[in-house]
Amino acid sequence: MFEKILIANRGEIAIRIIRTCRKLNVKTVAVYSDIDARSLHVREADEAVHIGPSPSPSSYLVHEKIINAALAKGCQAVHPGYGFLSENAAFAAAVVKVGLVFIGPSSQVIAELGDKISAKNIAMKAGVPVVLGHNLPIVDIEEIRSLAAEIGYPILLKPAAGGGGRGMRMVATPSDLESALQSAQDETRKAFGDDRIFLERFIVSPRHIEIQIIADQHGNVISLGERECSIQRRYQKVIEESPSLAVDATLRSRMGEMACALAREAGYSNAGTVEFIMDDRKNFFFMEMNTRLQVEHPVTEMVTSLDLVELQLRVAAGEPLPISQEDVSIKGWSIEARICAEDSARNFLPSTGLITRYSNLRGRNIRLDSGVEAGSFISVYYDSLLSKVISWGETREKARTTLINALNRYHVEGVTTNLDFANSILNHPAFIKGELSTGFIDECFEDGEAKIDPPMGQLEAMVLASTTVYHNRKNLVRESLKPMAAKVGLSHKSAQLYRYVVKGNKNIFDVELQGQLSSPDWRVRVNGTEHAVVVPVFEFYRRRLKLSIDGVDQYFRLQYRQNFIWCAHCGISRILEIYTPREWELAQYMPKEKKGASVNVLLSPLPGMVVSILVNKGDRVYRGQDLVVIESMKMECGVSSPCDGVVENVAATIGKAVETDEVLITFTT
Amino acid sequence: MQRPEQDNLTKLESMKEEAFLGGGAKRIEAQHRKGKLTARERIDLLLDEGSFEEFDLLMTGRAGQSSGIGEFPGDGVITGHGTIDGREVFIFSQDFTIVGGALGEAHAQKICKVMDHAVRVGAPIIGLNDSGGARIQEGVESLAAYGEIFHRNVQASGVVPQISCVMGPCAGGAVYSPAITDFTFMVENTSYMFVTGPNVVKTVTHQDITAEELGGAMVHSKKSGVAHFAFPNDILCLREVRRLINYLPSNNRQQAPILDLRDPAERTDPALDYLVPANPNQTYDMKILITSILDGAEFLEIHPHFARNIIVGFGRLGGQTIGLIANQPAVLAGVLDVQSSEKAARFVRFCDAFNIPLVCLEDVPGFMPGPEQEHGGIIRHGAKLLYAFSEATVPRITVIIRKAYGGAYDVMNSKHIGCDMNFAWPAAEIAVLGPKGAAQIIYRKEIEEADNPEEMLARKTEEYRITYANPFMAAKRGFIDDVINPRDTRHRLIRSLQFLENKRTVRPQRKHGNIPL
Repeated sequence: MFEKILIANRGEIAIRIIRTCRKLNVKTVAVYSDIDARSLHVREADEAVHIGPSPSPSSYLVHEKIINAALAKGCQAVHPGYGFLSENAAFAAAVVKVGLVFIGPSSQVIAELGDKISAKNIAMKAGVPVVLGHNLPIVDIEEIRSLAAEIGYPILLKPAAGGGGRGMRMVATPSDLESALQSAQDETRKAFGDDRIFLERFIVSPRHIEIQIIADQHGNVISLGERECSIQRRYQKVIEESPSLAVDATLRSRMGEMACALAREAGYSNAGTVEFIMDDRKNFFFMEMNTRLQVEHPVTEMVTSLDLVELQLRVAAGEPLPISQEDVSIKGWSIEARICAEDSARNFLPSTGLITRYSNLRGRNIRLDSGVEAGSFISVYYDSLLSKVISWGETREKARTTLINALNRYHVEGVTTNLDFANSILNHPAFIKGELSTGFIDECFEDGEAKIDPPMGQLEAMVLASTTVYHNRKNLVRESLKPMAAKVGLSHKSAQLYRYVVKGNKNIFDVELQGQLSSPDWRVRVNGTEHAVVVPVFEFYRRRLKLSIDGVDQYFRLQYRQNFIWCAHCGISRILEIYTPREWELAQYMPKEKKGASVNVLLSPLPGMVVSILVNKGDRVYRGQDLVVIESMKMECGVSSPCDGVVENVAATIGKAVETDEVLITFTT
Repeated sequence: MQRPEQDNLTKLESMKEEAFLGGGAKRIEAQHRKGKLTARERIDLLLDEGSFEEFDLLMTGRAGQSSGIGEFPGDGVITGHGTIDGREVFIFSQDFTIVGGALGEAHAQKICKVMDHAVRVGAPIIGLNDSGGARIQEGVESLAAYGEIFHRNVQASGVVPQISCVMGPCAGGAVYSPAITDFTFMVENTSYMFVTGPNVVKTVTHQDITAEELGGAMVHSKKSGVAHFAFPNDILCLREVRRLINYLPSNNRQQAPILDLRDPAERTDPALDYLVPANPNQTYDMKILITSILDGAEFLEIHPHFARNIIVGFGRLGGQTIGLIANQPAVLAGVLDVQSSEKAARFVRFCDAFNIPLVCLEDVPGFMPGPEQEHGGIIRHGAKLLYAFSEATVPRITVIIRKAYGGAYDVMNSKHIGCDMNFAWPAAEIAVLGPKGAAQIIYRKEIEEADNPEEMLARKTEEYRITYANPFMAAKRGFIDDVINPRDTRHRLIRSLQFLENKRTVRPQRKHGNIPL
């Protein structure tokens, strides 16, 4: 085993690797750019080397800097993590050239599997099915018929000309082929004057299923089950699980064998992932092979009780695999949620800033792989993944509820995260039923909100929690002020029943509370249903609340927003407006909130000099996104978009002085 | 035959019934249609349920010289007292449904009566303004009446907190009562304040301008600073008044309330260690620090939209109400200018008048340069802040977060003008001017004569930064009491407030100072 390795990465994966190294008594060397000088991974490692400016092309991606750091610190191997240089054949070669070990497959294998065509060839040679298609346009019906039979139904007819789905036809059976072709050709001829057609296999409700393998340098290859990663947005995975509902034991061993065959064919060593696309009839086709540790590797570790990083290190050090295929068993179920700094409501726009509050997660069957802490600064330079929350349960349902409960009490403040979005996926009926496909998010969500209404029970729990906190705080204020109130005629009557009306978006709730400030037992009625609530001693600076409702512990995240309360629970987040009955009665007279006239121009808020412009004409921008940086009083200050829209014109010029209220950018909204 | 007292009882009932209806159902409906609540509904929301006791329900005006105007029970204003979370306050609420809430003699007498009561017993005065202005039919009597109110506003200033909510029109002389009171709230779209209305503006200057553009809530809360708060509707406005009152003592003889939100004094925040960016030219948001250190992360910001380069407002530390003044590096680098100096100065004087300790979080690059500022009188406006701090006798604590340069260092509650405790974060830079500017002056000759002046300037700048731009020089002199770990800021502030709880300062006898107004 190695004595010391360099980790050519940052964030959660660097910390994840360090964890295993500690266990194996391997010393670690971290690398960091300017902005990462105070990052968590730097402090966790035994040693750290500065490798340059913040942009990754000048630091984390510079081969020489990383190799020199490894040599200078006396490392024997380099672990690339994922991303950055992990699938860079030239880097792997350079590492080996100076006498270090690259923890991953050989440079040649990386290159071969990294190329789409040669990877496909290797797969076919290994007998792995690939998505068949025909890359020459054709017109002749007989030719199409025979090709379609070869590719397999259903097939997709794609016009050679045009785009936007015009003239596309899905053909389910050979008998439909002729008429479908006819109408496709008619349409595309009319529209584009061209009737040539491409053919390809049509994948119905595609699922993304991948097989984890590990291979040593002695020819042993084993597979460690599958992961389902169908829940994706913009080709980025959000929720991953292992095993998959779409895969049974027979299919698992068949897919596993295929993946191992492919790895053998390629001469692969170390951990790798073979990605397949699967249709609704469980036909699966090879897509690509990832020659590195995957972000979602923890779900495999949770169900196999293996440490993949440990296996990676052992294999790279030349040891034979300590286990054989028969030793691998899949136990229970594991689900992972990726927590990213991004705004799900604004097309997943990355969010940056200082993490001002952060609560670590602990608990049975919960694993948190995090790269951040309170005080971490999320910059524009690197990817937006903050952490991964992974759960385990005997069944999928148990793993799911455990993860939901964990996310309900996981709090990250300072940057916008997809925490509630990820949680709402886990709570979605289609996810519960396991009706997954890569189109899941587009089908079930819009602007980060589920298209269906959230369950009333969860909303009511949120209303109950918020109102109980609100009422207790109000009472506490009253108690505190008592010494300053009049002593004459001091009355001791205390109302037995407190009523509130709570508004959250379009829902209205009637709430009645019954209880004493001095006692933890409250009876709370929400829309007529009574609940027994045991309240803790409220500490009002906390953002997390654990409340026992009808004997079940539930977790909420909440925050005072002036006179109202923001609450998040099970993927729903709402500002709850809590009114007294009299206020609610009078609220009907209040003017409807006017939508302010949309501002479609960005003005300079201060005099200064434009130092950078972050968008171009035609870019889609969102409210709150920084568009221009102005230097004033020797300080750089970002000017953010006042609206959602498209950049119509950039009036500002870099290096030019601007006055207050000078037009910087105009938009069309 | 009925006994006389029964007769009177029936009569009283009908008189009250009439009074409660104000200007009648039709006018009430009109008020609601405008998105406004009636004077009585507003009182309902502002005060604890059932606590309102009314004065002078039966008082009427003399109907003026021309007897065309009838007598109205209550004369267009509802006055009395009630409680907010158990504490007494005095209140007047103008009734727009009765002759447009116009102010006449009796109307003003009622207001004066509650003000007199409030000062006598030491309880806050809250005015809900919704009035078309002076009752012209009453002539000079209504002007006299305004004068009586203004005079009482001034007499009460610094004795009891005075709060004005402008919830409808407030024009002409009437604006000066809210102007004198401590805090002015406005409601968006339904309220406006101006000395002369759009019609007069049109006649005199030929400018076309709407009432909203001339004196609406957003104009006054963003541009003029006349309003401290603006809210979208009556309900939210009145809720915020209740919230504000809970920070304040009832009068200048009381200490501010201690409100225990169960937030541990020892609570530390590791994120604060990373708040100040490594690059001194990068900004950060001071509000992160503010919400981190205050009890329950609750901060009531005053003037949130006006002169945003300085933040002022109320919070609590260990339960104790404090007045917080903080430079905001995220806006104009936190520089002091005419508006921010005035904003902070008035706030400091309020806190001093009502025994509210001052906590100052400092990150100030200096005063705003330029002819606009100099000609606008930055000298005398900056002097207001200097004066206000120097004069304050309440416990005063300053934490220098990053920059404390030049005169602005002295002005921002420095040790030299009487602050009790002055802490600094390790990133603090306390010096006469910024490193680059200082190097340019001190080493001008060397830089000019160097082969590579740019490089020499950079070197000398760095030298200066290391020698002077740090908290240690000031700590050696005792101007800084301690350089603290950012994460401990809350705890250190609370410990200081504890030992300062019984601070007494005796000033020499004088009628009053002469603040450069």
